[in-house]
Amino acid sequence: MSRLKEILDSVQQVAPFPKVAMRVIEMLKHDVTAKDLADVIQYDQAITATVLKVCNSSYFALSRKISSLDEALVVIGQNLLKEVIITSSSSTFFRDIAGGGYKFEQGEIWKHSVAVAIMSRQLMHHVKVVDEASAFTVGLLHDIGKQFLSSFVKEDFNKIMRKVLNERCSFVEAEKYFLGTTHAELGGIILMNWEFPEEMVTAVRDHHEPDALDRGVMTALVALSNVLVASMGIGVGAGGLATRIHGEGLRRFDITQNDMDLHMADLLAEMAKAEEILAL
Amino acid sequence: MEIVVGISDMKVSNNPDDVIISYSLGSCIGVIIWDPEVKAGGLLHYLLPDSNLDKEKAKKNPFMFSDSGVPLLFREAYKFGANKKRMIVKVVGGAQVLDNSGFFNIGKRNALALRKIFWKNNVIVAGSDVGGTVNRTVSLHIGTGAILVKRPGREVFAL
Repeated sequence: MSRLKEILDSVQQVAPFPKVAMRVIEMLKHDVTAKDLADVIQYDQAITATVLKVCNSSYFALSRKISSLDEALVVIGQNLLKEVIITSSSSTFFRDIAGGGYKFEQGEIWKHSVAVAIMSRQLMHHVKVVDEASAFTVGLLHDIGKQFLSSFVKEDFNKIMRKVLNERCSFVEAEKYFLGTTHAELGGIILMNWEFPEEMVTAVRDHHEPDALDRGVMTALVALSNVLVASMGIGVGAGGLATRIHGEGLRRFDITQNDMDLHMADLLAEMAKAEEILAL
Repeated sequence: MEIVVGISDMKVSNNPDDVIISYSLGSCIGVIIWDPEVKAGGLLHYLLPDSNLDKEKAKKNPFMFSDSGVPLLFREAYKFGANKKRMIVKVVGGAQVLDNSGFFNIGKRNALALRKIFWKNNVIVAGSDVGGTVNRTVSLHIGTGAILVKRPGREVFAL
């Protein structure tokens, strides 16, 4: 079996994305009530438990314990609810790949994913993405392909790193060169298998394309968020900042260098908040 | 003891057993100072070049910016009897993504801001590992003044 086939086969083994979370992401595109959401969520025990746990966390500092989903949804509100559901549903797919091909420290890839999701939320207004739940999900899942490519990258790590360091090549270009595919392409396949909408599949698949900022808004948003989070050095592993992007693409968006600096500064506080709420 | 410096953070020490470490500097810059006579020093990990971006944020956390963070790093080390004239100063970080347009040149702007501050204050940099597309982890060993840098694809080296 060729190695590329082995890689492609490995992503077919991925467990399904929680149906309830998919349904919630879809529902949130339209006006929904807390009751509508509770009706759907109650069928997923894991999500229900997480929502209750978040409600009873120190962040909300409630005087009494919340034990019903209806009450919980009122406490945390729709905005946070969707992030809690998407985050808890996605986290299970990020089993730890510390020390693998990407040389991640413990929990680093998940931290990076959350950071990109939060940065996407912050930048949404500039890039004019309207569907916040989808954008947040794409942010969380954009590097999911690394889970599957990690062991193959490990085999070729020295060759990949040499190419990156000596030829001013991006890490993804080196993945493609030595492995025949990239973590972004694998991510696209996984989201497609999960039957996510086309726009989300494309955004994950193309987030490392150098002209990503000139493409669809969801693709541009995740690419931009990823570049800023990588610049901050958050959870980048061996790939570091070796990612290629044509910055001119920013001209079509209403965003300045000042805006981007401010969003990087804001991210730190938002990450701290997320850690408290979600106990990352 | 290992003392971790996060993003927009600073730590100083004069305990010879301490190692001050900052993981994964990307475009951020790590400024490391150490006085060999009193064996005291510190590490600042700043995110952005200029506190004019948001004075409120700079007041809340001066270590976020180079211009508000660097003076404080030195001042805190002076409390241990460190002296500016003896201080060994080294700089690490300032990487950036591959973008020819300059929109994402945060690393370059960070390095430039620091150069200006040092120029104005007559501070000489004894060593640096700055730029490129690599993230770096840097540590300062207080007892010996050793500064070790770790980058992907390379053995740990002393700066």
